[in-house]
Amino acid sequence: MKRLFFVIFCFFLLIRPTVALIEVDITRGNLEPLPIAVSSLYHEQGSQEIIQGEKIIKNVGEEISKIIEANLKRSGLFNPLKKDSFLQSSDIAHIKPRFEDWRLIKAQALVSGKVTISENRLRTEFRLWDVIAAKEMIALAFSTTPDNWRRVAHIISDKIYQRLTGEEGYFDTRIVYVSETGKKTRRIKKLAVMDQDGANVKYLTLGNELVLTPRFSPTNQLVTYLSYFRNFPRVYLLDIETGVQEVVGDFPGMTFAPRFSPDGKKIIMSFAKDGNSDIFTMDLATRVVEKITDHSSIDTSPSYSPNGKYICFNSDRSGLQQIYVMRSDGSNVKRITFGKGLYGTPVWSPRGDLIAFTKVHNNRFYIGVMRADGSGERLLTENFYQEAPSWSPNGRVLIFYRETRSDEEGKGFSAKLWSIDLTGYNERLIETETDGSDPSWSSLLSK
Amino acid sequence: MDYLVSIKKILLIAFAAVALTACATQKKVGKQVSAEAEAEVVKSDVYTGQETVEYLATGVPDRVFFATNKSVLTTAARDTLRKQAAWMRKNKDVTVTIEGHADERGTREYNLALGERRANAAKDYLLTYGVSGERITVISYGKERPVNSASTPVAWSQNRRSVTVKAN
Amino acid sequence: MTRSIFLSLLFHSAMIVLTALSLPFMKRMPIDLPPIVSVDLIQISDITNIPFAPKAREVLEKIKKKKERVVSEQAPPSKKKKEKPDRIPLPDDLNKEKKKIVKKKQNPEEIKELIRQDSEFEKKELFDPNQVAALIDKSKVEQAETSKKEKKLTQSNIKKTSFTTGLTLSEEDALKAQIFGCWSLPLGLPYEENLLVRIKLRLKPDGTVLRSTILDHERMNTPGQRFYKVLAESALRAVRICQPLRVPPAGYERWKDLQLNFNANEMLKG
Repeated sequence: MKRLFFVIFCFFLLIRPTVALIEVDITRGNLEPLPIAVSSLYHEQGSQEIIQGEKIIKNVGEEISKIIEANLKRSGLFNPLKKDSFLQSSDIAHIKPRFEDWRLIKAQALVSGKVTISENRLRTEFRLWDVIAAKEMIALAFSTTPDNWRRVAHIISDKIYQRLTGEEGYFDTRIVYVSETGKKTRRIKKLAVMDQDGANVKYLTLGNELVLTPRFSPTNQLVTYLSYFRNFPRVYLLDIETGVQEVVGDFPGMTFAPRFSPDGKKIIMSFAKDGNSDIFTMDLATRVVEKITDHSSIDTSPSYSPNGKYICFNSDRSGLQQIYVMRSDGSNVKRITFGKGLYGTPVWSPRGDLIAFTKVHNNRFYIGVMRADGSGERLLTENFYQEAPSWSPNGRVLIFYRETRSDEEGKGFSAKLWSIDLTGYNERLIETETDGSDPSWSSLLSK
Repeated sequence: MDYLVSIKKILLIAFAAVALTACATQKKVGKQVSAEAEAEVVKSDVYTGQETVEYLATGVPDRVFFATNKSVLTTAARDTLRKQAAWMRKNKDVTVTIEGHADERGTREYNLALGERRANAAKDYLLTYGVSGERITVISYGKERPVNSASTPVAWSQNRRSVTVKAN
Repeated sequence: MTRSIFLSLLFHSAMIVLTALSLPFMKRMPIDLPPIVSVDLIQISDITNIPFAPKAREVLEKIKKKKERVVSEQAPPSKKKKEKPDRIPLPDDLNKEKKKIVKKKQNPEEIKELIRQDSEFEKKELFDPNQVAALIDKSKVEQAETSKKEKKLTQSNIKKTSFTTGLTLSEEDALKAQIFGCWSLPLGLPYEENLLVRIKLRLKPDGTVLRSTILDHERMNTPGQRFYKVLAESALRAVRICQPLRVPPAGYERWKDLQLNFNANEMLKG
């Protein structure tokens, strides 16, 4: 037997070319975002305009291309080139791009497309070209009602992102957050939902009662949040489409810090009674309540791992706020943070490998990530006050909120939504009509 | 065969050595962490002034203050709560809500739990001084309802409080 | 029966003979290695130590600066591992799940409810080597001229051929530096995965690419290898943007076949 292997081994050696080929290792490259040209989607002659409320959108193709450009730019991975440098018009570019022209302006990829509106249908097709290799990389067509044109732009952005990075995109998503107005000592807070880029804001509550920490269900139809309705702080469930609200469970005290389980069947939350907060789950179908932690300390901010087998949470059982991981039945509790300072708001990444957190050290606030066993801590951003990270569905970007210093009159105070990607470089403000906090990112709307 | 055995031995020794070093580092880290923890605990920063205090009745302050991340009642706080208990025993028909608050220097969810713990610390003290539990409800606002908007250590210490409010 | 045994014996013995013949060749290889020639390296680096194209260097420096701003007080992960006695095992079935998800994506995408997809006509991307030469446009002429000048500069080094690689250090550096500038790394790649793209080139004497082949081409269209595909495409783009490659003016036979190994791990980790 050994002999046989030997012979086979030798045979392989034999067929290896004996003349040494020159090999050069390329281990460095250019880290600038990929130059990409997004040509206006050609608006076909005779197509109708889109009328949205008071707004009349004359050239949907151009608007779509602008949204795509903005999405790609915000990701930090792409550099959309200025349209006035384009040499070829959009209608011809879509049929047969003159690649030399696009190479001349240093584009490596090109997006072209066409929109047609007739009989209240918006048909959009687009192509992504590898300018350097002179070939088509992807081509798709969508048809929908015209008022969905923004979503079409986001879906196209996702397809481009996925084709050029290998990762799933995150543009066709929404963010639920708390809209804030009014004095710092008496903030008026409303639930609001918007597109990932800040457009299409819709308010879900009126602001009569304090609402906090909304979180999307995995299907994006439900939101669970904390409401002080009638001054009883309880976890609620809200159906975004129907507007129906209900209290989650019948607890004799404050329930807070809710989150859905990855299968969407349970809500995990904290229940505080007699100065002690523990973690509970409630099955939404059977209404069965289960106690997960039983400790005299504060146990809060639970978050499931994407496979539902583990839970990370926040506890001060060691004396100070730290992050712990346990099995989903509450067994095997292990502390994972041992660094300097306090740790809170652990959130498991959708990829499962990382946990994002807030860290407080020397009166400064950090957003960071670490592996699920607590190793490899990386702090992404430092500020006066920021917390509550939430993951983009592809696990590459975190959204969180940041508050600013204020004086006795509350001047200077603001709460804003920010995003940062895992590299820690690409930090961006997400513009909202009002102040905002407690963001929660949905999963991809079209899967 | 002999050299195989010796290789095994070497591997075993190496493994044992690695295991031992692992033990050594663990201990060190444990000490560091506890030292850090103590440093954070020792800070005493309870507000002792009168500026934000209101009164339930003459000589009965409505609120007590806490140290950062703590819910332990200070001597001054106990004194205040005894006055409140006496006042409640005198006015038998009064019911109260104790609101627990935290400063803005913590994460929202932990602060909600901390506020609840502070309010309950106050409630428990009132109970030991003969006030019926049925007359007291507890609510936590976390960092949502500061009394002083400023981002200064003094303002934060004023905001770390539990306030007894007349409910009827 | 006997026939097959006979055949088997014949083939086996043929193999053994082949082996016996080939082994000495293999043995000879190390003997071929020259003694370490002490070429005056200092001079070489004087001329060619421009490892990054100026643009790439700028970016690198920018990034270095940014890095300084990012705060992290933690010890490196390797140390941390020892600190914790009871580490939580990462979910085992993570990989399985990943695979599942990836498979899903291979199916034609469908858009629920509001948006219906009319068609998907993604073409199979076959690489057409004949196209490459045709792609060189006039703007490259200037580049070619400048590279000619550089060739003159490096001429003095040509004789000092390193026997192991077939290119002198300076020649290799020049080539690397050129490609560094052309290669736009796909920034979204996960650095945990070991991605190495090997491209074999057949060059013309002026450095233009006659043919380029990805050595593990089958990985390009394998499900679950999307990152490989992305990296491979970026590497191909780099080669095309760069051409004509800065090759030594002489010794065409030596470097007419060239293999480039693109490995982004170092960059993405940093």
